[in-house]
Parts: sequence; structure tokens; C-alpha cells
Amino acid sequence: MNRLATRIGALELKNPVLTASGTFGYGLEYDDFFDVATLGGICTKGLSREPRAGNPPERICETPASMLNAIGLANVGVEAFCRDKLPVLRERGVTVVANIFASSTDDFVAIAERLGGEPGVHALELNVSCPNVSHGGIEFGKDPKLAAQVTAAVRRAAKLPLWVKMSPEAGDIVAVAKACEGAGADALTAINTIRGMTIDVDTERQRLANRTGGFSGPALRPIALRIVWDLVGAVSIPVIGIGGISTWRDAVEFLLAGASAVQVGTASFADPCAAKKVLDGIAAHCERQGTSVAELIGRARR
Amino acid sequence: MAPHRSQVVAPLLRRESMGDAYHVLTFDVGRDLGAAPGQFLMVRGAEWGDAPLLPRPMSYLSGGPTPSILVKVVGEGTTRMARAEPGEPFSLVGPLGVPWRAPSPGRRPVLVAGGVGVAPLLFLARGLVAAGTRPVAIYGGRTKKDLPLDDDLALISDLHVTTEDGSRGQRGRVTDVLEALLAEDVEVFTCGPDRMMAAVADICARRDVPCEVSVETPMACGYGVCLGCPLPAAGGGYIYACTEGPCIDARRIDWNRPDHPPRAAGRAS
Ligand SMILES: Cc1cc2nc3c(=O)[nH]c(=O)nc-3n(C[C@H](O)[C@H](O)[C@H](O)COP(=O)(O)O)c2cc1C
Ligand code: FES
Repeated sequence: MNRLATRIGALELKNPVLTASGTFGYGLEYDDFFDVATLGGICTKGLSREPRAGNPPERICETPASMLNAIGLANVGVEAFCRDKLPVLRERGVTVVANIFASSTDDFVAIAERLGGEPGVHALELNVSCPNVSHGGIEFGKDPKLAAQVTAAVRRAAKLPLWVKMSPEAGDIVAVAKACEGAGADALTAINTIRGMTIDVDTERQRLANRTGGFSGPALRPIALRIVWDLVGAVSIPVIGIGGISTWRDAVEFLLAGASAVQVGTASFADPCAAKKVLDGIAAHCERQGTSVAELIGRARR
Repeated sequence: MAPHRSQVVAPLLRRESMGDAYHVLTFDVGRDLGAAPGQFLMVRGAEWGDAPLLPRPMSYLSGGPTPSILVKVVGEGTTRMARAEPGEPFSLVGPLGVPWRAPSPGRRPVLVAGGVGVAPLLFLARGLVAAGTRPVAIYGGRTKKDLPLDDDLALISDLHVTTEDGSRGQRGRVTDVLEALLAEDVEVFTCGPDRMMAAVADICARRDVPCEVSVETPMACGYGVCLGCPLPAAGGGYIYACTEGPCIDARRIDWNRPDHPPRAAGRAS
């Protein structure tokens, strides 16, 4: 029996460790460091209908135990992904979650239809929570009605398992979560980044050209964990925890809070093997404790 | 194609400090990871914990089984490096990026360095000398304190030094010397502050001399994943410093676009 297996709706993952969108490229960039097919899955960089150049520099800066990014969803576009990246991932046996982004429901649907026809995509993750683009994105994720509308439209367009990525900036995140559940989401992923700012005292200007950027990394973890806890208590679909996970202990915190899987993000920049180390650490922990991932999930709630 | 990159955790072999600002760190990797001059590595103390969080991109000063880097103290990460003691473990990810292009036969290489930008040019110069070409070098800084490793460069090049305050060499800037040295059969390799490289690139473009630059930007990953390292590309869009650079033909960069950093910081989005 596989102690590490976990179930996200109809999708069985061989282990609960995935990589977070935007921090793992299209997956193969990390192949020199470890075999990415050993992970539970990878979430791609946010894919849009057309390629996007992204925001002007500076796009990133470091903040205490964290960073800010305003990449602006630069990506190759869904066509190039299907043509150049997906075949290799498929051949390598990587579990691929396609993170998708659009500024209209029509575009969301078009991308979902395109990916729905491709073997090798195992789930869709709707990014309705990017804080770094001026149109769409987070607007969908802040409003329960809009979030439900996009979720329902994509639900109709593609048979793939559908995950919706939550924004911590929603006024009432539980309401958004329930709306997405009601509209047919198979799972929720939480959280995306939260907007932060930093000013260079010498130039007296914001460091990022976009002025604000998404806050991620270890400092985000307690906030992410609290939100995951709240969501697990409010919905009956699986929740996948994201935010500041660097070590296996961090990941187990999320499992204990009730997350069915986790995503490792910014930690992969600090250490390209971070996700693999998280996975190995969870395996060793289960071995030592004589337990399984399925048993760990939600144990702090009981 | 660049050799495979990898991550190693290696102890610091020695730190040679030149005053407070500049430090050469040498690591005991134990095997040659195959770095070529101009490539870089992402360096982070293996025991730093959660902060500083991100590794720092550093050009190779030398390769082989005991690779070295030249560190200028500018912030928290580099301060930690400047205080590191032998034996301290570091995570090294490399070799990364595009190396200097091979010198063109029949062209005389002119190396233009500003401050800490000397590191990848010293690595290049050593290779040139080993292959039988002694390059010309121009090395500039604000004062004589901003010329780390100038003695090393003097040994393997015909060196011209400039300082803005005249405390060493010719008073003025590297470009003053470069204008006089440029001839039809030279090619330029340059690394230093952005505005210096922009000026060098401009002179070379006007005189139709090939110019290769090694660019520096903030980086989170170093291998094409975070998309945090763009520079304005000539003709529109961006090039990514970590995968399309750091060494790149100067004409591929738009040095004057309004979003060329750092001047873009804080502009309306
Ligand atoms: C550089 C960078 C780029 C990101 N790009 C995306 C993206 O394209 N789509 C998305 O849904 N989330 C994106 N994120 C958010 C992460 O997937 C993740 O939700 C967030 O960083 C929190 O996790 P962490 O603290 O482990 O990084 C990005 C984060 C970073 C740091
Ligand atoms: S540093 Fe991450 S993409 Fe260049």
C-alpha cells in the first residue's frame, strides 16, 4: 500500500507534494536537479490564450523571509504549451496541473477547451487570484458571483478535474469558496499571494515598477495556514494548501489542518530540490510514525 | 550547449577580503562542474534558514573543482557572504547562463570592466592568455578603492586604469580610454554598472565594433523559471538575463527604453 497517496476528487495523486504555479516553470526546468515525475504533480506557470510579455522590470524583490513579485503573468501561451512543453511532460509521466488565467469568461472557456482535448493534462487550476495584472484575475476571485460564473463556465467546457485558486484578498473568502464549490469545482487551492509594497529609501520610489507585488515565502505561511483551516471547515471538497512551505514540517502542518495536498512555491528558488526534500521528509515522517498521509489529513481538527 | 547545471552543497575553502567592500570566496566543490567564462551560479548559505531567502547570482571568477566568486557588499546576502568563515556550507547552483561568446579570429579583444564587473572578465582574460592572446583591458572605478583585483588583471592584460577622482590611473571614465583605443579590428567585452555598459555599447555601435556585455539584474531562480530578470529587448519585448544572458550581444538590448531598469522603478504601471 502507498502510504503517501492522496485523493483530490476523482484524481488520485501518488503523493501530496505538488509545485506551485509560477515557481516551477513548465516543469522540465528542474529536471537537471531531480526527477520531477516523482512529485505528486506540478502546476504550470499561468497559461493565457495568447502569449504575454509581462510587466516591466523591476519585477521582483526580496523582503524579510519573503519576496514580492509582479511578473504580470508572462507566459508562452496555451498553444505553445501544448506544442512544446506538454508532449515531453506526458512522455516523462509527470502529473500536470495546468494553471490558467484570463481576463474574460470567454477566454477562460477557450483555454479550458483547448487543454481539455490534450492527453497529459490531469487537472485545471483556475487562477482567479493574480494580484499583478490590471484586468481580470483577482476581480473574479474577490466576488462570489463572478467566481461562481467562471467556475461554472469552465466546468461546462472541460471534463477535467477543476481546481480554483483562492485569493486571500477576497473580503469573504469562505463565501467565494462556497460559491465555487456550488458551481462545480472539484477542489480549492489556497492561497495565492497577497499584495505587498516596498519603497527604496534612497530613490524614494517603490522598488517594483508595478508598485505592488505578490507577497510569498515563509513569512506568508501562518496566514495561509489559517485560511486553509477556515476553508476546510466550510466546504466539503478537498483543499490544497499553498503558502510559505519550505520543509516537510511546514507541509505536515497543512495536512494536519485538513489540506489534502500541498504546493511548494518560493522555496524552490531558495533550493531547487525543495519540493523533493519536502516529499522525502513526509515519507520519512509517515514511516517513523507508522502512519499515512490519508491519516494525517485533518488530524489537528479532531 | 552549456553543460548540465546542478546543485551542490560545498564548504567555503577560503575568503580573501580586500577591505570591507570586496571579498573573494572560494568553494571546495571537489569536482569540476564545467563552468565557462561568463557563466554564473546562484549562491546561498546552506544554513541561512528563512532569511536572506533568495540565492544571489554571482559570476564565476574562476571555475574548476574549487570555483571562486568576487563579492561586493551591497545588502544582507552579500554581508553574510563577506563574514563567512572556511568550512561554512553553501548551496551552489550552476553553471548557469550563456558564457562569453568565443573571440573572433583576427579581432583583438578589449575588455572593459567597472568595479565588481571585473570578475567574469578576469576569467575570460585567463582563458585568452592560455590560448595565446594577451587582451587589452580598461578598468574603471570611482576611486582607487573600487578596483578590486586590479593587480591580477594587470598581470594578464595590457591594462589602462581610470578613476573618477584621479586617485589611480587616468582621471575620468573607461569610455574616455575606449574611444581612443577603438579600431576596426577590435571587439569589446564589457561588464560593470548598467550606465557604463550602456555608454560602452553606444560607442561600439557608432563605430561598428562588436560588443558583448554581461548584464546583471535581480534574480530569484537563475534558470528561467521566475521570470524576474527581464531587460528591454531591442525591437520590443524582453530578454531574460539568466537564460538569454548574462553574456549577450549589446545590440540585442534596448539601453534607452523608458522601462530599462533601474529607472523604471516606481513608474505608473
Ligand atoms: C515569481 C512567482 C510567480 C507566480 N506566478 C503565479 C502564476 O502564474 N499563477 C498562479 O496561480 N500563482 C502564481 N504565483 C503564486 C504561487 O503559485 C503561490 O500561490 C504563492 O507564491 C504562495 O506560495 P509560496 O509562499 O510557497 O510561494 C507566483 C508566485 C511567485 C513567487
Ligand atoms: S532569474 Fe528567474 S527567470 Fe531569470
